[in-house]
Amino acid sequence: MPDAKNPSPITHHPSRIPYFPGCALKDQAEAFEESARAAMAALGYELAELPRWNCCGTVYSLATDDLMRHLGPVRNLVRVQELGETRLVTLCAMCYNTLARSSRFVGADPERLERINAFMDEEADYRGGVEVLHLLQLLRDEVGFEEIEAKVKKPLAGVRVAPYYGCMLLRPREVGIDAPDSPEVLEALFSALGAEPLDFPQKAECCGAYQTVSDPEIVRERVREIVSAARRAGAELIATSCPLCQFNLETHQSVAHHPSPITVVYFTQLLALALGVPEDKLGFAGLKFDPRPLLSERELV
Amino acid sequence: MAERIGDSTPRLTGQALRITAGEPEFVAKVEELSGENLYACYQCGKCAAGCLFADHMDFLPNQVLRLVQLADESVLTSRAPWVCASCLACAVRCPKGVDIAKVMEALRLLSLRQGETGLRWAEIPPGVPQIALVGATRKLTP
Repeated sequence: MPDAKNPSPITHHPSRIPYFPGCALKDQAEAFEESARAAMAALGYELAELPRWNCCGTVYSLATDDLMRHLGPVRNLVRVQELGETRLVTLCAMCYNTLARSSRFVGADPERLERINAFMDEEADYRGGVEVLHLLQLLRDEVGFEEIEAKVKKPLAGVRVAPYYGCMLLRPREVGIDAPDSPEVLEALFSALGAEPLDFPQKAECCGAYQTVSDPEIVRERVREIVSAARRAGAELIATSCPLCQFNLETHQSVAHHPSPITVVYFTQLLALALGVPEDKLGFAGLKFDPRPLLSERELV
Repeated sequence: MAERIGDSTPRLTGQALRITAGEPEFVAKVEELSGENLYACYQCGKCAAGCLFADHMDFLPNQVLRLVQLADESVLTSRAPWVCASCLACAVRCPKGVDIAKVMEALRLLSLRQGETGLRWAEIPPGVPQIALVGATRKLTP
């Protein structure tokens, strides 16, 4: 394990940040990871994949006695500690929420942490103190939207995009990256990219999440409301940060309800596009509804 | 058993809380599992007003809370906790700081730990991604 006081110059370059992908980014959301890495490279940052990462558990346990459910997240925090690092950045909104909440949960009570540490045989004890960040926080608070604006090579002029936050970036308040009912971080980012962000009332509403497995009809209803509202606001694209929202909004958009579906992109795809990342690294081919016809009309691809 | 939404004689709010020396075991268990102060709720209904899934519930979120306060264990057969997707809209809006999603989780767990399940394996639609499967199995199976 590297010495925290004498870090190696490779892992501790300030622009090289440990990154937690999670299952979706290696599966149905490869476009999210690919575009994020390319965009961050254009901004001078490297997202360095965390060694030996494991599933975060996807949903945070809300029970007081379910310590076992925090084991997965804590193991990932131990991996960060092993690198001698103190920060972990995530892209998936669900991973962000689960890791950030578990980190706070064990940090708040030494007894909980002691029990989890006692259970882990292979790993060193987790000492606490790893900060879990979402990429949007890094972009807003460290890179800065002015800096991003200055690096835009292809302004997304006239692209009308509805930012869709969903739940896990915003709630609960203690881990929310923005105001839970009136977030603006995605709007500010899209403005910096030259696009036209649109406000719509459903931007922080739940898509139905994992009910897509147990009760898809509920999700179809939710998606109809969210997509209709975005359409009414004049959206040509919906942009999100959650692979499950993205899946639900794509899969449960009813073609019967409206003949032309709205493309649902990851916010990093728009970021990468505006920063001049080549088209083959934007992951547009991996989406169900290809945004390229729209973007080529605007001479962006 | 309490009346459900749509019944002609709802008497949920007509019942008085009996203040006794000891708390009923059921209430204590839900309090312990959720970590929430159940008696903080004063039935303003803000959780139900903003709940995106209330249409699919037999009891509204505030009614679920009321039934727990009344130690009415029939709430364990309610559909509401299974419909709740832990989106936490109620949790950030409750003026009394009650995280109702935690109460819903506690009720789910009480059922799950008795062997109930909220997921019918044979009916899982094809093509759902890993992120959804892990989420659903963690929330809806023992």
